[in-house]
Amino acid sequence: VADGLRALRASARAELEQLRHSRVLVALVFVEAITFLVLVSLFGLTGSRAPTALIQLDHGPLARSFVEQLEQAHHSFSLRPMSAAQAKQQLAQGKLVASITIPRNFGSAISSGRTVLLPVTVDNVNADLDGDLREAVPSAITRFGEVNHFPGIRLRPVEHDLIDHDTGYIPYLIVSALALTAFVVAGILGAVAITREFERRTVTQLRLAPVHTGYLVAGKLLAATVVSVLAMAFAVGLVVFGYGVAPRHPAATLGAIALCVPMFTCLGACAGALLRHTLPVAGLFFGLALPLYIDSGALEPLRFDGDKIWAIGHSSPVYSAIAVIEWAFHGFVVTPESLGQNVLQLCAWSLACALVTAAVMQRRVVQR
Amino acid sequence: MSAVLTVARLDLAVWRRSPWAILAAVIPPIGMFVLVKVLTLSVTVQPVALVIQDPGPQAQVVSHFIENDTDSYQLFVTSMKRAQQLLDKQRVAAVIVIPKGFDAAVASGHAVLDYTLNNTDIDFADDIRRSIDRTVAEFDAPQLGSSVEGRAGARGLVVPNAYRLDIAEHDLRTTDVSFETYQTLPVLLLLVLSTGVLGGALLGSRDHERGTIVFLRQAPLARTAFVAGRLLGALLATAAITVPAVAYLTVKGVVHPPPGHWPAFLGVLGATAFFAAALGVLLGAALRRSTTVALAGVIVASYLFFLGGGFTTIAFLPRWLQHVSRLVPTRYGIDGMRQALFYTDLHGVQTDLLVLGGFALGTLAAGVAVLGRSVR
Repeated sequence: VADGLRALRASARAELEQLRHSRVLVALVFVEAITFLVLVSLFGLTGSRAPTALIQLDHGPLARSFVEQLEQAHHSFSLRPMSAAQAKQQLAQGKLVASITIPRNFGSAISSGRTVLLPVTVDNVNADLDGDLREAVPSAITRFGEVNHFPGIRLRPVEHDLIDHDTGYIPYLIVSALALTAFVVAGILGAVAITREFERRTVTQLRLAPVHTGYLVAGKLLAATVVSVLAMAFAVGLVVFGYGVAPRHPAATLGAIALCVPMFTCLGACAGALLRHTLPVAGLFFGLALPLYIDSGALEPLRFDGDKIWAIGHSSPVYSAIAVIEWAFHGFVVTPESLGQNVLQLCAWSLACALVTAAVMQRRVVQR
Repeated sequence: MSAVLTVARLDLAVWRRSPWAILAAVIPPIGMFVLVKVLTLSVTVQPVALVIQDPGPQAQVVSHFIENDTDSYQLFVTSMKRAQQLLDKQRVAAVIVIPKGFDAAVASGHAVLDYTLNNTDIDFADDIRRSIDRTVAEFDAPQLGSSVEGRAGARGLVVPNAYRLDIAEHDLRTTDVSFETYQTLPVLLLLVLSTGVLGGALLGSRDHERGTIVFLRQAPLARTAFVAGRLLGALLATAAITVPAVAYLTVKGVVHPPPGHWPAFLGVLGATAFFAAALGVLLGAALRRSTTVALAGVIVASYLFFLGGGFTTIAFLPRWLQHVSRLVPTRYGIDGMRQALFYTDLHGVQTDLLVLGGFALGTLAAGVAVLGRSVR
C-alpha cells in the first residue's frame, strides 16, 4: 500500500506536469468554466423585459400613471420612448417586440369616464414572447384600474409569496450553472487524463508498472480534480464578485463543489476510457451539459415540469447538485426532496460513480 | 484548379474516415436541439391548484375563466388541504383560492382572488402573476380586447369597460411561429458553425500531429491552392452534414420560407458555412493540437452562436452587448436567416450577406497567412 500511495503521488505529480505543459488546454478549460455562466446569462436576459416602443402622445398624470403600471408589470417591458415612425421602423427590423401607443386624449377621456382604446402592435414572430406580452398589457390595465379606484372594479388579486423576496432570473440561473460548469470542466479534464494515455500509447506503461494500475489512474484523476477545483474557484469568484450573488451558506457551497468535482472527474475518466479519443470529449460534455442543464431544475424547480421530466431529471447527479447549490447560495429548496436527502443522493451518486469508474478502468485500462 | 480539388478531395476523405471528429462536431448541436425540445415543454403552462370555496355563480364565472385558460395553467381543481400538499411537494407553483363569501364580496365591489405563489425565481412567478391579472381583468371586463379601432375612414367601435382602457392589437404577421420552430432554426446554424469550425480546425491539427505537414511542404503546391483546397474540403464536409439536416427540416415543415426566399436562406447558410470553415482553417493552423483545437472549436462556436443571437434575442440584451454583437459575424447569419424565414420581405438580408462575406474573407486572409507560414 505504501508503494501504491507513493506511485499515486508520483502519478498525480506527472499529470500536473503534463497539464503545466499544456497551458493552452488549461487556459481553455478556465475559459470554458466561465463560458457556461456567460451563456446562461445571455439566455436569462431574454426571459424578461421585452423591448417595447412607447409612443406617448399624452403626458398627463393619468398617462404617467399607466406608464408606471406598464413598467411595474412583472418585469414584462423594457419601455423605449420614441415616435410612431421610429417604432414602425424598429419593429420592421426586429429590434422591438411590440409598440404601445398612449393616445392624445388619454387623460381627458378617462377622467370623463370613457374607455380609451390603446393601440398595441405586436411582432408576433415568436409565440412564446408575444404570449407573455399579451398577458402583460391586461396586467398593467388591472393595476391601473385598481390604483385609480375606478368604480365598477369588483375583483382584485391578492398575492402571498412563499419567499419574502423575489429572486432575479439570472441570479437563479447562474448558481445552477455552477453545477454544470463543474460537470463540463471536471468531465473534460478527467477524460483527457485517460484518453492521452491511449493516444500516446503510454497506457501500456501504466499496465507494466510494478504497482496496481489503479493507484496510477487515481493519481491522474486526483491531479485533474485539483485543476478542476481551481477552475471552479475561478467560476465561483466570478459569480460572487462579478454577479454579486454571494452564498448564504459558504460551507455548503464548498461542500457541494467538493462532492461534485471528483464525481464528475470520475465520469470524465469513464468517458475517456470508453472513447479512447480526445477529439469528441469537449463536444460530448458540452453537448450533454445543455440538455442536462434544462432537465435538472436549472431554470425552475423541476417538479413543476411534470412527472416525466422530473423522473428523467433523477437520472443524473446534476439534479441533486443543483438542489444543494441553490440552497447553498439562495437558501432555496428547489426539489420535493429535503436538503439532507439531496446530500445523501449526491453522496450515493459519488460512490456509484467511483465504483463504475473503477470497474470501467479495470476492464479498459488495466486488463487490456 | 486540379491541385485545389485534390487537396479538397483528400481532406474530405480524411474527414469521412474520422468518426470521432464528426461526433465532436455534431454533439453540441444535438444537445442544443434536445434542450429546445425540453424547453418547449417547460416554458408553456405552469402547474397551479385552484380551490373553490364559494359555490355561488360569480365564483363559478371566475373558475371557468381559470379553467379555460389552458395556455397558461395546468390546473388541479382540489381542496385547500390537498392544494397545500401539492404546493409543499412542488407539484404546483401556486394555489389560487376563490374564498368563501366571494359572491357577496363581488356584490359589494370588494372581492379578492387570493393566491399563494412559490416565487423561487421571477421567470415562472411572473408568468403566473400575469396570468392571474389577466383572469381578474376578464372578470370585470369580459369584453376586453373586443373593441375595434377606426381605420381608413371607417368608424371604430369602443366597448366600454370598468378599467376604462381597451386594447386594439395589431399583429405584424398572420401566424405566430412556434417557440420550437423559432429556436430550432438557430440550432441549424450552430450545426453549420460547429461542423465548419471543427472540420477546418481538425484537418489542420491532424497535419501537425501526424507529421503530414512535412509532405505538404514538399508537395508542388502553391500556398493559395493549398488553402483554397482545405477551405473547399471543410466546406464539403460541412455540406455533407448540413444538407441532409436542411432537407429533413424542410420535409418536417420547420424550414418553410415564404415564396422567393429560398435563395436568400441558402445564401445565408452558405456564407455562414464559408465563414465557419475559414475560421476552422485559422484555428487549426494556429493551435495545432487536436485536444486544444476541439475545446477551442466548441468554445468559439458557442460564443459565436449565443452572442450572435442564437437562443437569445439581441434586442433584449443591454445596449453595450448589442454593440458588441455587431462585431460577431454570426449575428448577421442569424438575423438574415430569421428575416428570410419568418418575415415577408428580405429587408437587410443583402447587408447581412455582405457583412458575413466580409468577415469570412477577413478570416480567410488570416488563415492564409497562418497556414501559409506553417506550410512553408
